[in-house]
Amino acid sequence: MSRALKLAAVAGVALLTRRALKGRIARSPLWPLPALETPVSGHSPRRWLPALIVSRAEPAQGVLLLTLASPELPPWTPGAHVDVQLPSGLIRQYSLCGDPADAGRYTIAIRLVEDGRGGSREAHAQLVEGAELPVRPPRNRFPLVPSPSYAFVAGGIGITPVLPMLRAAEAAGAEWTLLYGGRSRSSMPFLAELEAYGPRVTVTAQDEAGLPDLTPLTGAAPGTLVYCCGPEPLMEAVEAAAAPHAPVHLERFTATAPTTGASHPFTVELHRSGRTIEVGRDESTLTAVRRELPDTPYSCAQGFCGTCQHRVLAGEVDHRDTLLTDQEREDSMLLCVSRARTDHLVLDL
Amino acid sequence: MSNTPPAPAPVASEHIELKARNVSFGWEDTPLHWLPGDPFATHTINVLHLLLPAGERWFVHVYKQVLPYIKDERLRADVVGFIGQEAMHAAAHDDVLPHLKRLGLDPTPYTAQVDWLFEKLLGDRTLPPGKARHWWLMERVALIAAIEHYTAFLGDWVLNADELDRRGADPVMLDLLRWHGAEEVEHRSVAFDLFMHVDGGYHRRARTWATAFTALVFLWQRGTRFFMENDPELPAAKASLGQFFRAGRQGTLPSAGAMLKSIPTYLSRTYHPSQEGSTAQAVAYLASSPGANGGAAA
Repeated sequence: MSRALKLAAVAGVALLTRRALKGRIARSPLWPLPALETPVSGHSPRRWLPALIVSRAEPAQGVLLLTLASPELPPWTPGAHVDVQLPSGLIRQYSLCGDPADAGRYTIAIRLVEDGRGGSREAHAQLVEGAELPVRPPRNRFPLVPSPSYAFVAGGIGITPVLPMLRAAEAAGAEWTLLYGGRSRSSMPFLAELEAYGPRVTVTAQDEAGLPDLTPLTGAAPGTLVYCCGPEPLMEAVEAAAAPHAPVHLERFTATAPTTGASHPFTVELHRSGRTIEVGRDESTLTAVRRELPDTPYSCAQGFCGTCQHRVLAGEVDHRDTLLTDQEREDSMLLCVSRARTDHLVLDL
Repeated sequence: MSNTPPAPAPVASEHIELKARNVSFGWEDTPLHWLPGDPFATHTINVLHLLLPAGERWFVHVYKQVLPYIKDERLRADVVGFIGQEAMHAAAHDDVLPHLKRLGLDPTPYTAQVDWLFEKLLGDRTLPPGKARHWWLMERVALIAAIEHYTAFLGDWVLNADELDRRGADPVMLDLLRWHGAEEVEHRSVAFDLFMHVDGGYHRRARTWATAFTALVFLWQRGTRFFMENDPELPAAKASLGQFFRAGRQGTLPSAGAMLKSIPTYLSRTYHPSQEGSTAQAVAYLASSPGANGGAAA
């Protein structure tokens, strides 16, 4: 082979390699590194997404129905809820009750609780059409498991996560029933839409007929999944009434005890080091923990950097930060600002 | 000739207490080409937003594991302050990513791969407790020290990059870069001091420097290329080395010469980060930064 031919062959191979590489890199910018399946950067579950209130209605007495819109709102599935940041900075959780196919729009319903912690009063007084309402990406701890048959039970505003579920069950052609209880018909939202489903839906208003009759649950067909959202006594009654072969899925309202705002002393058990410490009224959990474990990392001491986030093994936390997501709050806390709601906490420290 | 081997010599007066600052930046008004008329320099600097969220989360992850090995109270306090600052940096840069997506330049294809690099390749791996796990922890601590040499270099550069002001760079972006740069200068000794405290081996220092440098060059050139090729406003744009040298001469990017000079600096046996950069300048910037003082920019 002549020299010129060899040179041409090498140049040709080099050109082809270059083209192939260019194509690869165009498709995969850091080739040959693979991509992480669920990207983390730029997709923080802690990020507040700016959403606009595009409609406000009162579908029932004391119930506020808001539709939020933004092209950035991620898709969701029935049973999901979102963190919402009220103008005062309070964070509250509400179930999504619109249509998951309606991309870029979330619908939430807020029941006014006059003697509550203040979130619903603020929402009713201040959230008007055209206002901005930051929300976090939705999360679902009450997902609808595919099944040929469902029994839904909703108490009052607990109808919100159930509403998209029964639409999904209907669309999937499943058998389903709904027992929907509330104080009075005038305070129960979505009655018109629900009555269109006919005999599948049983509405029981307490001022007319007392509490909903749960006996149909006892006779539920094998394989029926029970989904219930409502006040604690209703959920306990449902658990007791459901047939043993009908698994019960419950959605609890997140806050079970009111925050007083005041600080009371409590004890913290450090599970791994096997020590128990007292947290005084005037000191932070972090200060008390660091007396025993001076290595415990922290930085801002004001609840924004997240350095002192720690796993909670037992006890109820009074979360006083605005950083952690609902999901993180289930099993962790920021030691610098948050405290115990009860008298005792167990930390994985 | 002295009999004692040369050792890193810190400049004593430079020590200050480190604390995370709460920051807030509003991105609504920042254009895609935030350095007007210079997409190449814009995108080269934008690569920071691709690397830092995953990278600095990884720093925090590694440093939380190394805390029990620290036997010096003051260093421990520094590392804890460092962790808080890095966590804030990661979050602040992470916030730029959805803004880029809004402007039509979705960074996810690149960042998902960076996420893999830091979460998987450089993650904890399933190592048995003992020697292997300790070796891997020390290797990563040394890598962070080498990377921090470059973040301090870039921090010092951006604090002094007057050309960015002259060209009318977006004030919010400039504030993010300078707040971050200033904190990098402020805590520039921590990663190195930590490495010297828990390991300090020169071979490890040189080896991890080579890895970090190669990785940074690889990530940076791919990142700039990714941005230039996917820029919705510049359908035919390409990144080239020529543009890089030109921007370096003009002062819109660090110069190639300065970058080359920083190599022997880090590899010198007497190197200590406090010998370079100015804590006073960094602290002065932090006192006046709109983003670090209640987010006046938002």
